[in-house]
Amino acid sequence: MNKESAIRIINNALQEGRKALSEYESKQVLAAYDIPVTHEILLTDKTQVEKAAKEINYPLVMKGCSAAVAHKTEKGLIHVDIRTVEEARNAFDEIMAGLKGFDGAVLMQEMVNGKRELVMGLSRDDQFGPCVMFGLGGIFTEILRDISFRKAPLDKNDALKMMREIKGHKILDAVRGMEAADTELLSNILINVGRIGLDIEQVQEIDLNPVILSGAKPIVVDALIVLK
Amino acid sequence: MKKTISQTIPTDFERIFHPQNIAIIGVSAKDGGTGFGNGMFRALKAMGFEGKIFPVNPKGGNLDELQIYKQVEDIPEKVDFAIITVAAKLVPEVLEGCRQKGIEGAQILSSGFSELGTQAGKELENKIQQIAAAGIRVVGPNCFGIYCPKSGLTLLPGPDLSRQTGSVAFLSQSGGMAIDLAHIGKWMGIRFSKVVSFGNGADLRETELLQYLADDPETKVISMYIEGIKDGDAFFESIKYTIKKKPVIVYKGGLSQAGQRTVASHTASMGGSRVIWQSVLKQVNAISVQDLNELAQAALAFSLLPSGIFKNISVIGGGGALGVSACDAAEALGIEIPPFSTEQQESIGKFLPKPGSSAINPIDVANPFVSPQALKEILLQAAKDSRVDLQIIVSLLYHYKVMATAMGLKVAEVAPFRELADAIRDVVKTTGKPVVVVLPNPKKGLDDLDITEMLVLARREFLERGLPVFDELPDALRAIGHVNGYFGQRNANNE
Repeated sequence: MNKESAIRIINNALQEGRKALSEYESKQVLAAYDIPVTHEILLTDKTQVEKAAKEINYPLVMKGCSAAVAHKTEKGLIHVDIRTVEEARNAFDEIMAGLKGFDGAVLMQEMVNGKRELVMGLSRDDQFGPCVMFGLGGIFTEILRDISFRKAPLDKNDALKMMREIKGHKILDAVRGMEAADTELLSNILINVGRIGLDIEQVQEIDLNPVILSGAKPIVVDALIVLK
Repeated sequence: MKKTISQTIPTDFERIFHPQNIAIIGVSAKDGGTGFGNGMFRALKAMGFEGKIFPVNPKGGNLDELQIYKQVEDIPEKVDFAIITVAAKLVPEVLEGCRQKGIEGAQILSSGFSELGTQAGKELENKIQQIAAAGIRVVGPNCFGIYCPKSGLTLLPGPDLSRQTGSVAFLSQSGGMAIDLAHIGKWMGIRFSKVVSFGNGADLRETELLQYLADDPETKVISMYIEGIKDGDAFFESIKYTIKKKPVIVYKGGLSQAGQRTVASHTASMGGSRVIWQSVLKQVNAISVQDLNELAQAALAFSLLPSGIFKNISVIGGGGALGVSACDAAEALGIEIPPFSTEQQESIGKFLPKPGSSAINPIDVANPFVSPQALKEILLQAAKDSRVDLQIIVSLLYHYKVMATAMGLKVAEVAPFRELADAIRDVVKTTGKPVVVVLPNPKKGLDDLDITEMLVLARREFLERGLPVFDELPDALRAIGHVNGYFGQRNANNE
């Protein structure tokens, strides 16, 4: 746990007058709380592409990274399944062009494969303070609203129960040839998301969407932290 | 965040719930006075409150041959508890007088405070809070007060509440809910330890009262109606602590959007979002109910059933469809009605009328006039199945109306409810397994008022023998489901 580094990132954003962290910053805060995030490198210059790609390994995902830009998919700021350095360089150019006018950079990350998408998060309730959310990810989040909440702090029992509480909880079991999800790791994420909310008053909302199960292991693929 | 007022001297709740002496401030010398003060005076008399009552009014005079003191300070004896009914703007001064007199607690029935949403109302309530913090506990304002059957304290319009004491406590922001449940309890068989209508909750409210009830030996089951809470974290900790010791049934009002508007004006507190509330209640293992009936039924089940889980049950009733609906309702609650073995069906079958009956489980007695003696044998046989944790008997007593009419008698003279109550009590004693009684009545019209009357009498007989009674089978099953849910979770958490 590295609360100080998380607070440093948040204070930095607040000093710049921002209301949200970029994906990269958000994941650094999460990583500071031992939450597994995609292996990723932030690139500001095209010359960095080749070295970074080697470090992360193909296939890659490249995204526009800016606290000012939401809905990356619609703006063509996400490129997936990049398999060569040429593709990576082209993606860099296209993303930078798409970001024109915004303060942003290119985020290169490992491509996480897994059919099961989850969503987790935190919201601050007026009466009960930080509450942690768990649910099915992808399009199901909005259509089914199959989610559960627990007030922070969560103990392990709370975390396990909130996962069992959603209607689609069987997705965590060994189904259709997929291994059972590592509920130990999932619990830790939920508990630690709650801790961020308790430790850092300036965090208004956290959105981990999606969290992809790569085999049994959950990895946060995209994240957003909204500040007060 | 504003914390609840903390006091250095611990509150002596004994003096508040079981006062020896009471002052009522705001009575009128006219015996026929219709104000809250005189209403409370008459209600306490009617309840047979055994302590002394000191009426107070600045004009003095007499009420029922009692001297009316001009101010609390003039009362020559020690006073434990005060009932304040004067106009809102006079409340702070009166409350301060009570505090200086050394009164432990006061209930303020008057309204005209923060619930108005006006600056003046809020300021008056702040003054009450300040006086309370200086050394007197306050229930209210804008409430119906405390009902405690043991001491004879009663709610505002409650001269006719039961004096039978019991194990169920009820905390309610709403006075109307408090008086309604107190009345429901009287016929339904819920016996109360303490009922508190705390209204605006300027001082004592959900969190502190829960904390008190958690360690109150008179209270075994807590139920509450809440609209909004003052301090979410404190409430969470308090209910979590309490639920480890005893069940807490929560009816949370204002979860719909329309309800939230009403709540905002009702008690000046926020309703909170539905999904978060539901999650929090689950998280602490509260028993969450949707209305006052469900709350009452759950409270009855918790207070009369032994602590435990009733996973497998037997159901004895009449009619095949009743059996089917019993199975459907039970399954949804995770309760099973296991079919009996062939041998057991034979031993039960000996006491069943033929043809048309069934001994499988649910047991269909086929005929509403099976004698209490035969029903006793059937229940004894069914309890021999080691899987059965609890039995439900659906008694169709209303059918005796036909027989009574033919004999020219009243149904209450014909229906054998006393014998049945004795028989069932014996079964519980012999088997050690609880029996829940269901008394349905599809005949509620004007020409069948005698059935309603008979069933009221019957219910009393069952309750006197410690047997919980419900009107309908699904109500009974739902209440048992709540008991199972609570103890199941509590056991799992203790593992």
